[in-house]
Amino acid sequence: MDSRVVNKGQLPELLDKLARDHTLIAPVREEENVTLFKKVSGASEVQLDYITSDVSPKGCIFPQTEKTISYTYTGDTLEMKEQDEPPKTVLFGVRPCDINSILALDPVFEGKFLDTYYLEKRKNTVIIGLSCSTILSTCFCTAFNSGPCDGKGADLMFTELGDKYYVEVNTEKGSSLVEAYSQYFSKGDTDKLAKAKEEQAKKLEGQFRRKVDLEGVKQVLDENFELPYWDKVFKKCLGCGICTYVCPTCHCFDIFDYVTGEFTGDRFRCWDSCMFPDFTLMAGGHNPRPSRKERVRNRFMHKLKYHLDRYNLDGCVGCGRCISKCPVNIDITQIIKDLKEVGQNA
Amino acid sequence: MMDVIQQLREQAKKLLEEKKVEMVIGFGEGTELARTTPVFITNPEEVSALTWGPLCANNLVKYLIDYQNLPGNVAVVVKGCDSRSVNRLLTDNQIDREKVVVLGVPCSGQLDWKIVAAAVDPAAKLKGFSDDGESFTVNTDAGDYKFDKKEAMLHKCLVCENPNPVVSDITVGKEQPVKNYEDRFAEVKALEQLGTEEKSVFWDKQFSRCLRCYACRNVCTVCTCRTCVFDQMQPMWVSKRNNLSENTAFHLIRAFHVAGRCVDCGECDRVCPVDIPLRKLNQKILKDLGDLFDAPTPGSEAGLASPLGEFATGDPEEFM
Amino acid sequence: MHNPSPLTPYPATVTKIVDETGDVKTFTVEFDDPQVMENFGNKPGQVAQLSVFGEGEATISITSAPTRGKFLEFSVRRVGRLTNVLHQFEVGQKIGVRGPYGNWFPYEMMKGKDLFFIGGGIALAPIRSLIDFALSDQYRKDYGKVEILYGARSYNDLCFKHDLFERWPNCPNTKVYTTLDRPEEGWDGHVGFVPNYVEEVNPSPENKVAIICGPPIMIKFTLAVMEKLKFADEQIITTLEMKMKCGIGKCGRCNIGSKYVCVDGPVFNLAQLKQLPPEF
Repeated sequence: MDSRVVNKGQLPELLDKLARDHTLIAPVREEENVTLFKKVSGASEVQLDYITSDVSPKGCIFPQTEKTISYTYTGDTLEMKEQDEPPKTVLFGVRPCDINSILALDPVFEGKFLDTYYLEKRKNTVIIGLSCSTILSTCFCTAFNSGPCDGKGADLMFTELGDKYYVEVNTEKGSSLVEAYSQYFSKGDTDKLAKAKEEQAKKLEGQFRRKVDLEGVKQVLDENFELPYWDKVFKKCLGCGICTYVCPTCHCFDIFDYVTGEFTGDRFRCWDSCMFPDFTLMAGGHNPRPSRKERVRNRFMHKLKYHLDRYNLDGCVGCGRCISKCPVNIDITQIIKDLKEVGQNA
Repeated sequence: MMDVIQQLREQAKKLLEEKKVEMVIGFGEGTELARTTPVFITNPEEVSALTWGPLCANNLVKYLIDYQNLPGNVAVVVKGCDSRSVNRLLTDNQIDREKVVVLGVPCSGQLDWKIVAAAVDPAAKLKGFSDDGESFTVNTDAGDYKFDKKEAMLHKCLVCENPNPVVSDITVGKEQPVKNYEDRFAEVKALEQLGTEEKSVFWDKQFSRCLRCYACRNVCTVCTCRTCVFDQMQPMWVSKRNNLSENTAFHLIRAFHVAGRCVDCGECDRVCPVDIPLRKLNQKILKDLGDLFDAPTPGSEAGLASPLGEFATGDPEEFM
Repeated sequence: MHNPSPLTPYPATVTKIVDETGDVKTFTVEFDDPQVMENFGNKPGQVAQLSVFGEGEATISITSAPTRGKFLEFSVRRVGRLTNVLHQFEVGQKIGVRGPYGNWFPYEMMKGKDLFFIGGGIALAPIRSLIDFALSDQYRKDYGKVEILYGARSYNDLCFKHDLFERWPNCPNTKVYTTLDRPEEGWDGHVGFVPNYVEEVNPSPENKVAIICGPPIMIKFTLAVMEKLKFADEQIITTLEMKMKCGIGKCGRCNIGSKYVCVDGPVFNLAQLKQLPPEF
């Protein structure tokens, strides 16, 4: 694996150049307390010291709302226009958990039916990861074979070390970017920095407060669909969509038309949430998941079992957003712990 | 504060043992030191799960709507602000007074849990709280942490009208004085000073990041419609497209739908995952209702009708 | 190069509309580009997404067998927003179609066997594709006796009357049993619920496959009868209905446990169904 060094002082210039040549999406501090991934026009807008974004950056590849087709329809005639090819994009500053989530989303949108909306954005996007330097009390990425400095899945992985960024060049895409902006990527003393990074990773890994052990949890869920435990969990759930909308691996969507004129309209797809009653409500009135109990169970089953069953990948990456955002403190790590206990007592 | 917890547990135990209620809804310890979580207790042996303190921001009255059809009665722990929701639900005929036991707890303020979480050693274990007048102290096994009320309390607590429950069957803890740290509508007044263009810029920025997760609606105690207008498909008043126009429509429709009924519990504001200052919207309407109709905060007295739900000959009608 | 999206429908035209019952119509749809039909390759039991522009999409089972011709038929009950609009369609109107989606009836595995179809109400539509497939000149020799037991609330609620009373009874080695829930003036056929009628007809499980589709309550009681008649779980095949949006296993709503009905279903045998959580 190739590696490079970027001087901290030169990063703003590099980001400015990237923004000039591409669509640059990076963490931006919206309000005092809100950090979101947004399109930026230069380094000055980028919040380099963010810890975690309030909403995951998955929306850059799988937008909350996207037009799939525009149509003109008179009854007797029909014309459709598909989406334009997405722009060349650089997604800068992605944390390891969020990179891991993109790897978990890939197989959903690949497969027999290639989801071109996702895959073309994925193809046109260079992902620049950024190692963490602060571990929040809600973080638990280490439970999912990742870590605060894990560059798996990133095209380039930046780790801040003193006045430098140590840059791991993980893919062809990353390598081409380094080449195109070679004046910013020096060869430097990468061996020393690689070692420093490893030390930093080890130090940070020691700071995780949540020790999450998944051993046996899937087995409990494999063997038990009905558990009295779910009756306990769902009671406090408000049935809002926070957990699913801030989650970096949730991928459910809805498709609907929006009429723009007498003969014209757009078809959209937009995020949907399995926590909403109408998610599974059929036109005739039947609902296979009629209450919050079934919906809450489905969400955790999806994260801890279904995704694994289908793609052999974890459906959670330990970003901790659903924990910190849930208004009633439903905590997936507590659920994991409780399910383990249920298994041991069975 | 620890004796309040003790008394709460005793009262809950008694209610359950004497079969006066089937369930007690209260606050329990959360999965982090700075958090609490709603608990639903049906077994008198489990009342030790109940807790209380300055980290109990949730308005548990919302859950009464879920359990209104239980055969037995339900007890619910409420703060002063939450108690306004009880009155409001009674006025709207959403709950049966006979079936609800209100466990009122006078409250001297609620801390913003995020501020506490950021300050406290994440590995620390909670030992207790004390209210020192102008500050709260959080006692942990890793030391004591002092939080200045003015800095760390939820905004709604700085301008609290009802520290003591306005409706309560069993009151636990001693009465608290009303103490306002600033003009109740200071924030709204500041916004009112802005020009139309500036107001538009301010709200556009807020609404554009709305996720449409509907947490503000789902947590709201006056959102009791069986089919919400935003879930309605036929006709679809607001589409699922997430953009400024639809998001603005969502928030404005909601604000006007709860106008005159919003009890200013601030839950919408607290739960918003992207920190949209929703309470400012509701407070603006509250302030106008006060200015126009001399209306008190909805729910602050039993049986208060909504000023927008009835006609009085003295109503202002400048637009006519 | 920009690839065509799997969510973009193919333009098609409604070429025929048949009123089946008061609230069911069958729409014959032909693709505007004949090449699309050549490549469509629908198999009996699969579904498609119909686009009613301005309203969105709905998942509808393809009720015609591929052996019938270069068109698709969809029987649609007027039940919601989109189907309301669809019911106002006229011949010649454009519609969007994408698919085919999902698995199909295991017609290969059924070769050499007798087929016993059981349907109720609108739910004859999904199995009609297999009935017509098995009765087609091309494949009739592959299957033994074909029996169709079908019931509805009233005569007016019977779908596919032309098939039931004219086309199918005249096919070789084929028997049609029709029943109405309640007696009705002018009806001299069988009266009674589908499960009871199945018990009366008393099909032997020997070398037979039962294909069942109907409202949940009918399925529930029919399955009890089938068990009594000693049909093995593997001999009982059904097709499920779930709310679907994408049809391609991505939008996440039609899951039953780890399975997506749109790609792993909608056809399941009873043994498979018993492996799934009861969430449908």
